[in-house]
Amino acid sequence: MRECVVKVNGQTRRETIKDNVLLLDFLRDNLEVRSVKAACWRGECGLCTVLLNGHLVKSCLVLAVEANGGEVTTVEGLVQDGKLSRIQNAFVEHGGTQCGFCTPAFVLTTHELLEHNPKPSAGELDEAVSGLICRCGTYSQIKEAVAAVSQPDGKTEPLQKLGKSVR
Amino acid sequence: MSFGSPYLTLPDFTYHRPSSIDEVVALLKQHGDEAKVMAGGVGLLAFMKERLMSPSHIIDVKGVKELKQLQYVPGRGLSVGASITYAELASSQVLKEKFTALHEAVSRTADPMIRARATLVGNVCEAIPWIDSAPALISLDASVEILCPGGKRRVPVVSFIRGPVDIDLAVDEFVTSVEVPDPAPGMKSAFEKFTGGSEFALASVAVTLATVEKKRRARVVFGSVNSTPIRCVDAEKMLEDAEFTRATIKTAAEVASEKVECFSDVLASTEYRRHLVEVVALKALWRLL
Repeated sequence: MRECVVKVNGQTRRETIKDNVLLLDFLRDNLEVRSVKAACWRGECGLCTVLLNGHLVKSCLVLAVEANGGEVTTVEGLVQDGKLSRIQNAFVEHGGTQCGFCTPAFVLTTHELLEHNPKPSAGELDEAVSGLICRCGTYSQIKEAVAAVSQPDGKTEPLQKLGKSVR
Repeated sequence: MSFGSPYLTLPDFTYHRPSSIDEVVALLKQHGDEAKVMAGGVGLLAFMKERLMSPSHIIDVKGVKELKQLQYVPGRGLSVGASITYAELASSQVLKEKFTALHEAVSRTADPMIRARATLVGNVCEAIPWIDSAPALISLDASVEILCPGGKRRVPVVSFIRGPVDIDLAVDEFVTSVEVPDPAPGMKSAFEKFTGGSEFALASVAVTLATVEKKRRARVVFGSVNSTPIRCVDAEKMLEDAEFTRATIKTAAEVASEKVECFSDVLASTEYRRHLVEVVALKALWRLL
């Protein structure tokens, strides 16, 4: 057992845990951050993705003790002063969610992509989300949401060539 | 190896985070075969969830400064420290220019989140049949540098990987870096793989062509087709002796398809892998024309 201090979405959290606890289980079970989804536990679906010290990681492949003294951001951390971020609004507007299970991971990942690359090409977007699985298959709406943020003037190139998806 | 165990959690262990190589050595000496060295943890934690490994001590080397080094020295080559991640390698310009096959292999492995954690040294030590880095490293004549109780030793990657999940490493030793020699001027290399939508490659190949002392030198190394990476010496010889044309490439790829022993698993049959060997070899070699 050891004490683990992690700053989660700006708030310092302190828990005593066993060394073999995954960051995923630590966030969900100890800290009750349930937007981090537990699905495959083996790094395949990516729905437990969080930002650890500024890097996107799959929290099922990280030990909680490795985050000790570090900083974790989950999708809740994108909300500022009670307002959703642009990409969160775009997901709502374009129906980028269906059952909603993968939404936190996709929102966080696409937000991070747009932070570093405000106008990603279709290929760059595909690459960025290649580690995530949407079990409903809402990919084209997710792409529209990202296009709405990255090309708000409507002069769109690569992303809108996808056409309007069938709803 | 069977994947798909019901366990989602890890077995019990004690976590250590040393900050120097001396501390790592001391911990290995103290805990011996009860301990495992962890860098990114991507492979190790997966093995542990499957209960294929249950070490009682985990030594995380991410805090060791000396192992966080990626260095290129002209004339000597590239040194990749044990905690250098795939993402760091993929963003290296010198890797892209001089060690193209390795750059292509690391930037196309898995996805960005995995690449942010997984390390090259960890990947080589994992030595599963499907790793992309090993064929590239073997084609570039790379070695691993091992710290052992008596000092250091260097082992070529091709002999370091003895079998699936079987490496030439004693319990009191650990790999500090992968060393890739500086390529001959004008050397060209490429990496190709076919995944067919699967997480792992069904066949991959790394090829290098260089002129050393006025003679052409070729390396053709296949991955994911058998339990360890395989060099195809017959194809290499053909590429070295004949003029480097499309026709030569075609013959060399056909020879590889015939000579390289392929295994069969749930993803692909032996016959299909033989076909893929030819396809990936053609694709990679054409790019060197």
